Amino acid sequence: MQKLHTHLLLLILVCLGLGTQAQEDRKVNFTGLARGLYFGDRLNQEGATPDTVTPPRLNSGHVMVDLGVNIRPNKNTEILGMVRVRNDYGGFWGSGVTFDVRQLFVKGVIGGIVKYQLGDFNYRMSRYTLWNYNQEVIGRMPAIFQQQTDVLNYEHFYENDNSWRQQGASLSFALVFKKFLKELQVNAVTTRVRPSDFNQVNDRLFSGLNLQLVQSKYLNLGFNYANLYDVAETSNNTVGLRNPVLTGTINALYGNSHFTLSLDGEFGRSRTFYVNSTEAPDWNGRFTDFNLKLSQPKWGLYLSGNALQVGSAFRSPGAQTKRIDFGQQALAFSRITNNQELRPYNMLDLMRESSFYVMQLRPFLMEFAPQYDNITPFGDATPNRQGAIIRLGYEKKGQPLKAEFAHYALQEMRGEGTLKPRMFSRNQLMVEARVNEYFKNWKKRLNISFHYRSDKTSREADDLVRGVDLQTEALSAGIELEVLPSLDVLFGIQTLQYKGFDFTAVRNNFSEIFNFNEFEVDGNEQMLGYGLRYRFSDKTFLSAQMNRFQNANALGTLPDYSLNQFMMLFQLKF
Amino acid sequence: MKRPFQWLCLALLPVFAGCETDDEFDGPSLNDLYGAFAILSPFQSSADTVDFSSGSTVHFTAEFSKNVSWILEVKGLESGAVKEISGFSKQLDAVNSVWNGTTTRLPFFKSEPCAVMLRFEAESDTLLDTIFVSGTRNYPGLLLSDFEGVANPGWTSFVQSGADMSFGIQTNGTAAQGNGYFDIGGAVNWDFLIAYLFMPATAYGAPTFNLSSNPELVYFNTMLYKPENLNNGIMLFQFQEDDNQDGTFTPASEDMYAVEVQMNQNNWSQLSVKYSDLQTLVNGQPASPNGNGVREPHKLNQVNILFLANPASGYANARLDYMIFTEGAALEP
Repeated sequence: MQKLHTHLLLLILVCLGLGTQAQEDRKVNFTGLARGLYFGDRLNQEGATPDTVTPPRLNSGHVMVDLGVNIRPNKNTEILGMVRVRNDYGGFWGSGVTFDVRQLFVKGVIGGIVKYQLGDFNYRMSRYTLWNYNQEVIGRMPAIFQQQTDVLNYEHFYENDNSWRQQGASLSFALVFKKFLKELQVNAVTTRVRPSDFNQVNDRLFSGLNLQLVQSKYLNLGFNYANLYDVAETSNNTVGLRNPVLTGTINALYGNSHFTLSLDGEFGRSRTFYVNSTEAPDWNGRFTDFNLKLSQPKWGLYLSGNALQVGSAFRSPGAQTKRIDFGQQALAFSRITNNQELRPYNMLDLMRESSFYVMQLRPFLMEFAPQYDNITPFGDATPNRQGAIIRLGYEKKGQPLKAEFAHYALQEMRGEGTLKPRMFSRNQLMVEARVNEYFKNWKKRLNISFHYRSDKTSREADDLVRGVDLQTEALSAGIELEVLPSLDVLFGIQTLQYKGFDFTAVRNNFSEIFNFNEFEVDGNEQMLGYGLRYRFSDKTFLSAQMNRFQNANALGTLPDYSLNQFMMLFQLKF
Repeated sequence: MKRPFQWLCLALLPVFAGCETDDEFDGPSLNDLYGAFAILSPFQSSADTVDFSSGSTVHFTAEFSKNVSWILEVKGLESGAVKEISGFSKQLDAVNSVWNGTTTRLPFFKSEPCAVMLRFEAESDTLLDTIFVSGTRNYPGLLLSDFEGVANPGWTSFVQSGADMSFGIQTNGTAAQGNGYFDIGGAVNWDFLIAYLFMPATAYGAPTFNLSSNPELVYFNTMLYKPENLNNGIMLFQFQEDDNQDGTFTPASEDMYAVEVQMNQNNWSQLSVKYSDLQTLVNGQPASPNGNGVREPHKLNQVNILFLANPASGYANARLDYMIFTEGAALEP
């Protein structure tokens, strides 16, 4: 292992040497990120009996560098290789150092027409075929907390464009027309989601095809095909998954200088089945999702109405795989109290622990946390939903204020365990402002953000079965105030309250519901943070912050507890 | 098509129309899993008296507020025989609760009054009823013996001269079927063999037993009993075939198949073995048959019952009852 480390270091040094020579003709560039992160935690339990078993303090952290070498051997080809050197705090003299290849790809253009990419890349299709939806609750947080989430997102290649990191090959080209049509864009991808073990696990691939017909800036039609499938004869297992999804999209625009009317829609179907299996179901699902938006460009106001129907049998692994695997256990203070009971995850764990996050598409509906999001746990592609979403907002180019109010009125298309459907209601308010821009002579940064979400799930009780009534309220607010040049004071608060009762579906490996568990919660989580951030440049900062997280749960056997967290983060992108 | 956008919006109007829900639901019924349990119609039998010997059956009825796992138990008040029927449903009816006189836990039912109890896996309710069995079931097949009355004079036997020897039909009300059973016991400290009983086909009036020639169809069945504190008995059943059909069995050149039972199951239990599954055994181990090697039930000319025990293990005891060949399926007592 030591020898391997030496070789890798030599490789990096050689690359650095080459890079110095090559920078001049721009054939070789370096890219990457360096980070130092430290957490100091203290756990305070409020149980009647002091916990004398669990150590209350926990320190952790690491220093790492992702060093990528971007090589352009000719004008049509680009190669990127990135290695990671990481040292967890506490690993001295190389004993805790790890070397990994973080990413590797080749991309280019063939004949000036066809773009291709081989290796690791991020890929996205439509919202119902391949889309990496943000994680619950912590997807959009005040800047002070977002720093920790951004670290997680970077680690798992979660980009702002909601793409999934894949490994395989993609290509794209476009045909340009002289009359009637502007162009036809063709995008295709095949990636390997799971390798064979040469015994009972088949190779699993994801393939996608997107055709985009651009008639003009007023009309755009699309066709998507996505399929997650097992490759036969790559193992001894004759049973193989097939999950093709076919969708059509439309984007239409109509307007003048006074208003703009746009229609964005997607509709399609899916089939989920296993070849050579008599036990597996054969499901056919459908969905339609259309959004009509009326905008007034002069005032910056918009009003949109979204009507959707997603069938209970609609399965699209590319769009329904969640970022968070709620079946995992938090690593920090995983057991507390004198009885060493498992501590359930909380908002803070999800904000900073890598072990909850997944990188690969899952062929089944993953577990979700109803107390965090019971309405759209799988994003827009959440199966078994129908209804409308109304949005009223303000957003104007160049203006420092952005605000939106949204109301969801959804219900199940098919009841679970009863003919009565659950009813879902959500009210959501978002305000973000760069306040200093309202004042002519105030150059220093003052950003504020406010998010509020109120969810309600209900289902009438019948004569014999208890009704459903689950409510969640999430509120977050943050301030970034630049007190000295490039030195910001950060403040943030995020609270989450949940209370009520629901039945949660227990699914088998084919995602069929075979049981229901009673699910009752009555708790709240609150996170309060303050800190300083110094921005060396747009890509480099040093941040130190104190956070206090409190967890209270009126049910269960665990006592209420709080976690005081000190975090120091240095990050440099190059 | 001058106003395509307006047409498009018009075409999409149905999408924005009201929501309808499916008339079926996903997963098991919540009512079944978590609904309150209630008995909507009383538990009762379709007849107060039933004669199984004439082919009659009886069934039970009841209706519940939800699907439940239920267990119906019929217990003979004289024999102690138990019949269990179980299911998961909202009602008991002629489809799921029919009783044709068979037994789940030995002994066999007699002509007797029976207590009927309906209980539920996840509920505390218990419902009771009674019925009277006026005639017991008839069992088709070739009955070697039900050990009622006296022994067949055509049988031959040998009993070691050990200590506490018992060998013969007993009648004391603890039989698996009827009132009598065959008791074998004793302590023989110089030999594995305690006693044997040979049942030649000639004792039933023919040189071979009247059985099908297809070994896949023929089953040998008998009831076996072992006292709770004795685990050393071995029951060996041998099946001699007269391959050349000369009227005698020649061990050196004809097939003898066997099944050996370690007597380690307390109380009465049933042994049923398909003829095609019988093996030639030498000292308890499978061996090659000495004859044509074909299992031919129709050439069976004698059944041997040998009771064995390790000479160092002391007293051994076993009981036999209701020995019968059936065709097509094992005996359903």
